[in-house]
Amino acid sequence: MANKDEVSRRQFLNYTLTGVGGFMAAGMLLPMVRFAIDPVLKQGAGQDMVAVVEENEITEEPQRFTFKVNQKDGWYESEVTQAAWVFKDKNGDIVALSPICKHLGCTVDWGTDPSHPNQFYCPCHGGRYTKDGTNVKGTPPLAPLDVYKKEVKDGKLYLGQAEPQ
Amino acid sequence: MKWCSKDLDMYLQASEYVDTAIVPLIPITWGAQKKNVILKGEFPLILSEEIERQLKGRVFLFPAMTYLASELDEDVLKRISALTSELEHEGMPFTVFITSDARWTGSEELGDRLVNIPPVPLEHMDEEYQREIVSEQVKHILQIVTKKWQNTL
Repeated sequence: MANKDEVSRRQFLNYTLTGVGGFMAAGMLLPMVRFAIDPVLKQGAGQDMVAVVEENEITEEPQRFTFKVNQKDGWYESEVTQAAWVFKDKNGDIVALSPICKHLGCTVDWGTDPSHPNQFYCPCHGGRYTKDGTNVKGTPPLAPLDVYKKEVKDGKLYLGQAEPQ
Repeated sequence: MKWCSKDLDMYLQASEYVDTAIVPLIPITWGAQKKNVILKGEFPLILSEEIERQLKGRVFLFPAMTYLASELDEDVLKRISALTSELEHEGMPFTVFITSDARWTGSEELGDRLVNIPPVPLEHMDEEYQREIVSEQVKHILQIVTKKWQNTL
């Protein structure tokens, strides 16, 4: 007769089979789950901050700086060059504006319109923005220029995603 | 705007703002001269893309118009004028052909639609220098294109 404390042959087999089966199921399911939620795990990667320029190079006059980010366009991954207009405002705070016109996506330039030397100017349809990126009424753009997420670390300016103001 | 359906949708929303077609004019061959001919195509293609990026909201970048290096001038010009007249007819008053093929210099049919850029062999330059050269040329072409627009705004 089996003692109550002892494990019977049947119980022992049951436990081992459940254990081994469990491991096998986990082994099969884990890669599948990982595969299914993969995009969630990866999402953070696109939003890294990129070092753009030394802080002491930034002036009150907007300057154009370029930097590289990885971009995924459908299945096509590439390194694209992005640009930012960077300057210090009256309070000494750094402002980084996206050069993409909010009208139809042309690239705006600083001070190229002779009659408005202190504004951003879009060569396509004459859109204008004031220095802080606000669109000038009466020109085609309907929204202010996007602003880059920014961070200053060890004397360097890091830029992230451009966001609407 | 580029030659893709997403950008076409954008065009349909804002067609009154778009009046310029950018068409790279690229020779092709698989004969002995291919290296030379590829060189003449590489640079204008890069420039056209860059122009599209800068002037996205007012230009439409077309697929390159290609011709065999051995094709007769008059045959190519016939195709070119068929394209420009269709474009003009369909609401694209300006067409800009970007080429590095000296063959079209002074062509009467193309006239001021042609932007001729001497080819630059970018392959042996370091990246910094490449970017400098491309942006210089782009600035040059931008001036030509925006000058065309000056009296139309």
